Amino acid sequence: MSVDLLLNRQNHDGGWPYVHGASWTEPTVYAVLALLAAGEDRPAGRGLDWLRARQVRDGGWPPQTGFDESNWVTALVALIPPEQLGAGAHARSIDWLMGTMGEESTITFHLRQWLLGDSSPITGSAGWPWVRETASWVAPTSLAILALDKENSRRPGDALRRRIAKGRRFLLERMCVKGGWNHGSVRVYGAEGRPYPETTGLALAALRGASGQKVDISVGVARDFLRDCRSADALNWLRLGLMAQGQLPPDYSPPEIAYRTLIETSLGMLVTETQKGREILWG
Amino acid sequence: MTGKNQTRSANPSRRELLAGAAAAALAGCGIQQRPLVPSRVSIVKAPAYDQSVYEIMRRLLREQLGDVRGKRILLKPNLVEFEPGTCINTHPIVVHAAFEAFYSLGAASVRIAEGPGHRRNTLDLADSAGYFQTIPRFEDSFVDLNLDEVTRVHPVRQFSRIKKLYLPNTALGADLLVSVAKMKTHHWAGATLSMKNLFGTVPGGIYGWPKNVLHWSGIDESIADLHLAFRNHFAIVDGIVGMEGNGPIQGTPKPAGVLVAGADPAAVDATCCRIMKIDPLQIQYLRLVSGSQGTNITERNIRQLGESVDRVATAFELIPEFRRIRLENT
Repeated sequence: MSVDLLLNRQNHDGGWPYVHGASWTEPTVYAVLALLAAGEDRPAGRGLDWLRARQVRDGGWPPQTGFDESNWVTALVALIPPEQLGAGAHARSIDWLMGTMGEESTITFHLRQWLLGDSSPITGSAGWPWVRETASWVAPTSLAILALDKENSRRPGDALRRRIAKGRRFLLERMCVKGGWNHGSVRVYGAEGRPYPETTGLALAALRGASGQKVDISVGVARDFLRDCRSADALNWLRLGLMAQGQLPPDYSPPEIAYRTLIETSLGMLVTETQKGREILWG
Repeated sequence: MTGKNQTRSANPSRRELLAGAAAAALAGCGIQQRPLVPSRVSIVKAPAYDQSVYEIMRRLLREQLGDVRGKRILLKPNLVEFEPGTCINTHPIVVHAAFEAFYSLGAASVRIAEGPGHRRNTLDLADSAGYFQTIPRFEDSFVDLNLDEVTRVHPVRQFSRIKKLYLPNTALGADLLVSVAKMKTHHWAGATLSMKNLFGTVPGGIYGWPKNVLHWSGIDESIADLHLAFRNHFAIVDGIVGMEGNGPIQGTPKPAGVLVAGADPAAVDATCCRIMKIDPLQIQYLRLVSGSQGTNITERNIRQLGESVDRVATAFELIPEFRRIRLENT
């Protein structure tokens, strides 16, 4: 049924829309990953062709045709194995991720802050932004870590490990005071920020293999969310995050919730395959 | 056409013409260039979120709008977060009342659209905020502006440092974009009303969640850019229960018992500020757009309809950083 929905929604150009209309990179990546996992190689191949044709010269991907700047969706495309995406395209996407960081971690920014009298310590963390020349946030950082970690499991390297570690440090710094993550603000408008279920699941997936008190607290938050949450998107990410941490309750069965978007459907298929033991989002 | 310029110029009264003539005579004083016709802003009392809001809204829109028959209307509420027992979002009854009122006035279509800045799952957020429960077949009428098709726009005048501004086609293509905002204080901007509400038109699919590019480009300046980018908008502010203190999320409910509306969003926001006992001339984004064509924020250039500001004004608590903008202090 889910496969049918994806097939019905595929545009003539091979990509997928968010809702309807023109193809966008994000829903196309999720649909391609889900269809590859389901063994639907032909429609997935058309989606891959759409993606390959839209890689920007700098190695990244724009969110859609007509927008000529690479942004966070590059991390999503880099989750597609090089065997399917193409080795060259994949390698350049990894290079793009390695060369990108939130503006607040750049030397120029630190220098400017220092000149302005800000003596905050430099922590050595570095996340990823949604759009270049802006700050880092939890979701793009988590997706970039997932992509680099997957690459590191294929072709381990010190530079990759260091960059992943910096990204994970960023996530731990941005954890909400009582555990879990929101969009990336420990304090929101001057008050203590509260976590969201979807970003908590996403960050826990990116922290796969990491341990410590902060991770443990956030696993508890995620399990609480899992019990009460009724959002399909959030439940998908919570399940992936808890599976990455080996903490999804074995007897867990999701509530009957309608998938409202194409991404929820695609991600739901990836969750099901991951539960069967297939490692799609991590290596 | 029911854009704000057309609405404002329709049948000015003798009083408006006299006010305009007086304004023109004072234009040389260097305070602010006066328009010939002041902006009309309606203030109506609405004590609670109940059935009475529907009739009040019909009356309000009839008073403010010209002919909307055959027009495509887009309602843009303020959906941010949902926390039970809070007043963060535009109340669904206010949105539904506007939805019904526009149809009763003969609009060809009325759609509801929003692109929240923090949460990606917009429909879940709308569901939690009571929109599915209040508005029949809500999903059929709703467009997620974060995921809509986009067009690059080139504002005639730009205040912010944003390099490329893309906006959703649904908002750009509407005959009338109606900002249905909440009356709230704002931690960074002082007050968030109908103009700040247009942040929700900036597509997350392009810029992410939060729309951090707007912060790096200047919050007040980006608000001004968006105001100028949409020339066909109308403003309704839900002040039945607003938010004071550390808004727009962490503040506390503040009943003001009013709906405020008009075709000049800056005039509506300036009026709301006065109701909140905030000096609109101390709100940076209002100052930026003041003097733009058809935009008025000074009292003498706004013609108040319905209740007077004095009759409904109630001081909204301000965080210490913004106490300087209190009307009595300035």
